[in-house]
Amino acid sequence: MLSLQILANGLVLGGLYACIAAGFSLVWGVLNVINILHGSFIVLGGYLAYYAYAQFGIHPFVSILIAAPLFFALGYILQRSLINRMIAAPVLLTLSLTFGLDLMLSNGMLVAFTADFKKLTLDPPLGVLNLGGIALPVDRLFAMVLALALTGLLYLLLSRSRIGRAIVAVRMDREAAALMGVNVKRIYAVTFGLGALMAGASGPLLAMIFPISPLSGPVYLGKAFVICVLGGLGSVPGAMIGGLALGVVESFGALWFGPEHAITLSFTLLILMLLFRPTGLLGRTGYA
Amino acid sequence: MTSILPRRALAAIAMLACGAVAALPGTSMAQGTIRIGAPLPITGPLSPEAKKLQNGMNLWVETANKAGGIKVGAKKMKVEIVYVDYQSNTPRAVQATEKLITQDKVDFLFSPFGSGAAKAASSVSEKYEMPTIAATASSEQVYDQGYKYLFGVYTPNQTLTEPLADLVKKQAGGVQRVAILARNDLFPLAIAQEMEKSAKKRGMNVLYFEKYAIGTLDHASALSQIKAVAPHWIFATGYINDLILIKKQMSDLGIEAPVVTMVAGPAYKEFVSALGKSAENVTSAAWWHPAVRYTSKDVFGSTENFNKMFHAKYGTEPDYGEASSAVSGVVLQLAIEAAGTLDKKAVRDALAKMNTMTFFGPIKFGPTGQVVSLDPPVFQVQKGRQVVILPAGIKQGDLQLGVK
Repeated sequence: MLSLQILANGLVLGGLYACIAAGFSLVWGVLNVINILHGSFIVLGGYLAYYAYAQFGIHPFVSILIAAPLFFALGYILQRSLINRMIAAPVLLTLSLTFGLDLMLSNGMLVAFTADFKKLTLDPPLGVLNLGGIALPVDRLFAMVLALALTGLLYLLLSRSRIGRAIVAVRMDREAAALMGVNVKRIYAVTFGLGALMAGASGPLLAMIFPISPLSGPVYLGKAFVICVLGGLGSVPGAMIGGLALGVVESFGALWFGPEHAITLSFTLLILMLLFRPTGLLGRTGYA
Repeated sequence: MTSILPRRALAAIAMLACGAVAALPGTSMAQGTIRIGAPLPITGPLSPEAKKLQNGMNLWVETANKAGGIKVGAKKMKVEIVYVDYQSNTPRAVQATEKLITQDKVDFLFSPFGSGAAKAASSVSEKYEMPTIAATASSEQVYDQGYKYLFGVYTPNQTLTEPLADLVKKQAGGVQRVAILARNDLFPLAIAQEMEKSAKKRGMNVLYFEKYAIGTLDHASALSQIKAVAPHWIFATGYINDLILIKKQMSDLGIEAPVVTMVAGPAYKEFVSALGKSAENVTSAAWWHPAVRYTSKDVFGSTENFNKMFHAKYGTEPDYGEASSAVSGVVLQLAIEAAGTLDKKAVRDALAKMNTMTFFGPIKFGPTGQVVSLDPPVFQVQKGRQVVILPAGIKQGDLQLGVK
């Protein structure tokens, strides 16, 4: 019984983790840009949902629909105006660029929202679903379903649509894609926009669950790194699998070795993966 | 994770650059000003705590300066606090402390936030024989190093758990099964261990005692195990973000218990506003509460007046962190005035001899430098307010059982 509850906890947590990592993985995989901004985008999405709810009573699920186009535009513009200028430079330079932008964004949020922890508390709360003695918090369950839906949509977009195929083509071979008439710069901007969209859309989900602070960005970013290595870079299903795996491993780790070792365990796993299967669980084959 | 390394390196370069710029104009000190160094976690996860400490310290500085300054022998001197950000990173707090002493040449020091960082920094301040007041360090391990220059205004941790355990034993005799979940950090772990002792001493069974790592994003596993042992009393420790998350997840998993105690978080307004109804009946203890009433000879005059001045400046009621940082200034001021000089040894001796009344309560330091004269209040969130339930002299309500 306890094991089932722990498994359920791990799966719903994993859904959130997948949500955190999907956009990050996409941008890293396709653009070869390590987007340090990703964590702060999530936090910003969280604040958007918090204030929308506190000021106007807008439900965080609705906020997702507001956040998605806004963050897509933000990401698109950022890539077009700034990051595209550096895109051919070594990865350390683009990392520095996004690191600098992240400093500006997180400190800007610090000034705008203060460092006090805020929490989006729904009134009335969504409650708890009891499945034969296994408690499943409805907000997490929703978040997991939405995370799955968002990642699923992203997957469909990449595998079915013209623009998605172009993104995958650029990911596989930039020169060849350009020769085939793909506008590489535009594809880069769209990809970065999608990554930002995923971050901004997961913000409202996470705001219902975790306290929000301008400085929680790096925590999410750290998780995103682990999940990408677990699942394989640039692969949407990989982020899903990696997220779920991390959630379940952390949950059982806490049960078996005590909660203080749950994080140690996930990083041990990370090192083992890097040593023995550096391409991640899904490898490099399944790009989209 | 290799990409984290360049990020650290970048951060270090940025720090150096900032330090170089900051050092240029900062050195012109006003004549006849007492300068106190305060390394604080102004950025990083602990920044809300630094904000509180700054609120208290700034209010004290303003009030003391408005009264003409601190009396040193025959003349009055203005006072100024030199803040340094250590980015919630304890090793950096130690460096910041050393920098304040050797480069900024401050006259006195306030400790960094919390027991862990205060202990780490105290080895530096002791080396330079620098009188240091710790506003927020309660664990005895901070004071048992045989240091002569460190003084703290929080009583030892067991002074928080003992009265609470007494009260629960007396009013809820059925409470037998105890579960403890502690943040693996100096103070949160130390107070959890005190709770374990307090519970066992009263014949209760501690069925679960686990630590969680700093930065944990999910407590569902630990809480599921706690639920499985059906405790009567759940005691969780950590800082405000941890405890908001733990309480939220307790509600998520449908965990209810007659008594739920959380340290330290429920003393803060943000805890109650973040959790709403699910904060109801959570108990906690702190070293101070705005409901205490003392009349003092310090710059504030009384607890009531301190609360009033605080409210006028910040628009809210002070909490214990804000009060303890203000009283750190008060204690230092009283010691300087008693010594009549800025001589570090003389001020240190005046601190050791101190036996006085402040708005915070009576202050007298024990042989280790930790205050021994305070009686910390126990309180409970009732109808969205923090209501004092102990000590009997100032209580505003009685212990209510049942936390959902």
